[in-house]
Amino acid sequence: MATLEKVERITEIKAWRGEIPLYGRYTVGIAGERFFREIKDNARIMGTKCPLCGILYVPARLYCERCFSKLEEWVEVPPRGEVHTFTILHLDLEENHLEKPQILAFVKLEGADGGLVHYLGEVEPEEVYIGMRVEAVFRPKEERRGEITDIKYFRPIGGVATPLGVD
Amino acid sequence: MPRVAIVGAGMTKFVRRAQETAKELAWEAASMALESCEMTLDDIDCVVLGSAPDAFDAVHMKSEYLSDGAGAWGKPYIRCYVGGGTGVFAVIQGWYHVASGVFDTCLVVCEEKMSSCMPHPQGAFLTIFDHTTERPLGPNLLWIFALEMNAYMNRYGLRKEDIAYVTVKNRRNAADHPCALLGDPNITVQDVLNSEVLAWPVQRLDVSPISDGAVAIVLAAEHVARRVTNKPVWIEGVGWALDTAYWTNRDLSYPVYVEEAARMAYKMAGIKEPRKEIHIVEPYDPFDYKELHHLEGLLLADRGKAPEDAARGRFDRDKESEPDWLPSSPSGGLLGVGNPIAAAGLMKVAEIFWQLRGEAGKRQVPGNPKRGLAQAWGDLMQVGTVVILGI
Ligand SMILES: [Zn+2]
Repeated sequence: MATLEKVERITEIKAWRGEIPLYGRYTVGIAGERFFREIKDNARIMGTKCPLCGILYVPARLYCERCFSKLEEWVEVPPRGEVHTFTILHLDLEENHLEKPQILAFVKLEGADGGLVHYLGEVEPEEVYIGMRVEAVFRPKEERRGEITDIKYFRPIGGVATPLGVD
Repeated sequence: MPRVAIVGAGMTKFVRRAQETAKELAWEAASMALESCEMTLDDIDCVVLGSAPDAFDAVHMKSEYLSDGAGAWGKPYIRCYVGGGTGVFAVIQGWYHVASGVFDTCLVVCEEKMSSCMPHPQGAFLTIFDHTTERPLGPNLLWIFALEMNAYMNRYGLRKEDIAYVTVKNRRNAADHPCALLGDPNITVQDVLNSEVLAWPVQRLDVSPISDGAVAIVLAAEHVARRVTNKPVWIEGVGWALDTAYWTNRDLSYPVYVEEAARMAYKMAGIKEPRKEIHIVEPYDPFDYKELHHLEGLLLADRGKAPEDAARGRFDRDKESEPDWLPSSPSGGLLGVGNPIAAAGLMKVAEIFWQLRGEAGKRQVPGNPKRGLAQAWGDLMQVGTVVILGI
């Protein structure tokens, strides 16, 4: 079998399987420690504000990436915002068809620079639109573990409405 | 070619497990470096990041992940990686950004967070070996070191106790380093010889610890450097070289690639007699014998003679009276300060910077050293990187 010859069946050439036997253990960091504790204990989304640039970072960060200021002003951000963009997921990671398509959205949070990527719930794919107002649905306190999935999903505020200016 | 100086440096503590994220560690070191020379991110034209395998931080594309902590927002930015040689190579890469005349300033940041890598970084090291001829044997990194150390000892008839003295010297030096993980003023050669055998002849205390930490320095072209500080430390020479990646095709008892990197740096610095013209040295010391190996490769000791030089105190920080005295790893090195791979290499450059400026505190080498050399080494043990600094 020559170099660059097309292999029709991978099992016909000499090969062996190996893996990189690793997993990661990630600390959430100095700012993350407080950010996730607020979610777990108080169902609150917190940001940190740069005194020089005026940027309100959400999730909260320890420092401003633009000017390197240490960020010490913690600001509560309302757990709501609007859908900046979204996609409808039809396959899972193994490329199996999802029984019910999932809606993944980038939600810009009110008053913050930036926001969160998360799932949308209590809404059908055909009802979602860019600009839709949504709010976070937190899991019950006893189920919250200080993780981003303590937010179950975002849902439309006041149920599904028609976008402004659209019939 | 514009002259390039180091004008500032900063480092975090080296610890076993940091609470900070890798980004936060990078930011802490980078901020300290900027503050040390009263500069801000606005004064920085470009950023170089050094970090070892992605697997250590358990993040893929570490360059992108660490960019904001390294101060790279909105700036030309690049990551370099040559294994353990990274920390010194990052300085070389920063140097040519500025020496090219394209940039006036460069922030060089090196970070490693090995505690993220579970169950142990050996799982990552496993896959640096050839997947077909070596990995089926289940190698870990100690294998190479043990085989190399044994070859080195056998070639020259070396004694383990002479080699073990390097660990003693470095851990004692590190006792004076505020960022050190393993400083110990009372450690003895016997402690090293009594420590657990990992893979003969490598014992527990022959080896540096895995660690978390970050280091950063600020580089500036001459016209900026002179404005920023009255104590610029010039990069006088740089060198780097590779040997074959087939480690079974190398002479394991001598690091020829280190010699080649050193010769390149000496030539650039106009150094004819390294043993007279280099006053302090920070050779890469992930294992005690490696410091000796590298001192020989750097032409700062005769082949096979570095262990007895070490044992007589030639490389001690304060034995000025020793013939050919050459303080080696005055920081405490990787063996004493810790070994967050890329950060450890840059720590060596930062140490020479502090020593030449007379700012090394309790670690200060006497005699006002004027020129120093930092060296690192890595990949599959076939990369040599060298930086020579002077005032
Ligand atoms: Zn800012």
